[in-house]
Amino acid sequence: MNFEKHIKEITYSNVNSLDESIFLEKLHSKRRRRDIKKFRILNGLSAAVFVSLLGWASFSQLTDDPMIYVSNDLKPMEIMDIETEIYVYELADYLVDTSDDIWETLAFLDEMNFETIAIKNNRGLE
Amino acid sequence: MKSDKELIKEFQGGREDAFNELVKRHLPDTYGFFIKFTANLVEAEDLAQDVFIRMYKALKKFRFESEFKTYLYRANINMSNSYLRRNKWRNLLHLDQAPEPAYTDTSQEDEWRRKELWDAISKLPSKQRKVVTMRIAQEMPYKDIALVMGVNENSAKVSYHHAVKSLKDVLK
Repeated sequence: MNFEKHIKEITYSNVNSLDESIFLEKLHSKRRRRDIKKFRILNGLSAAVFVSLLGWASFSQLTDDPMIYVSNDLKPMEIMDIETEIYVYELADYLVDTSDDIWETLAFLDEMNFETIAIKNNRGLE
Repeated sequence: MKSDKELIKEFQGGREDAFNELVKRHLPDTYGFFIKFTANLVEAEDLAQDVFIRMYKALKKFRFESEFKTYLYRANINMSNSYLRRNKWRNLLHLDQAPEPAYTDTSQEDEWRRKELWDAISKLPSKQRKVVTMRIAQEMPYKDIALVMGVNENSAKVSYHHAVKSLKDVLK
């Protein structure tokens, strides 16, 4: 038997009709789904690139100099002279003793302007 | 009736219906090709859809350097090659299963014979595989095969002859 004929017989099929409208409907919905998927992947990639760039930019701002990270809030305490410090400790002791509420004392000390006291103390010294 | 070229130009001009008309015109050939190739109605429909999805994108930039039919044949052949490659891995990983009888148009035995034939075809060198696919699944004359492959007619005949000889050795 002719081998060519034999392989054609193997592949013979009598089914080759398909509903065109259903096929087209499926085709376009598949195409749209793929487009959406592609769009999402591109969006995800852009977001990842943006986050990486932002991360790199933030990281590049970091420095080894510790003074940069010292909080400004600590500065008034640094300039406090010894007399003011003693005064504040005594005041704190007194307030805790009389009120029995350490949190209230802390809040009060927080609100206090020590700079004025320091200036007064310094004037006394002069 | 409008020619393929006119329909493509209309599609490039923004008329989506022109693409649908083109699909309807070439669907029987493309679907028939993949039916012969896969023996599975669902897979054949999937492959035909994938080919036309590629066409949808490609036709927007189509420059009419070749006939649309030739271009479509090439796309079918490329798709069938990808399918063969995918199937090779599926077979290796034992993921392939016989399709359900409801989806096939032949008996189980025919199905396995067909599978065996395409497995053998998938192992042929690229040129021979393309020629034999066009000849068997699309029943194309050598003249058209030569045009699609960009070779002369005799070269296509020689490739086919070698392919059939190799298949005969494998399938005997």
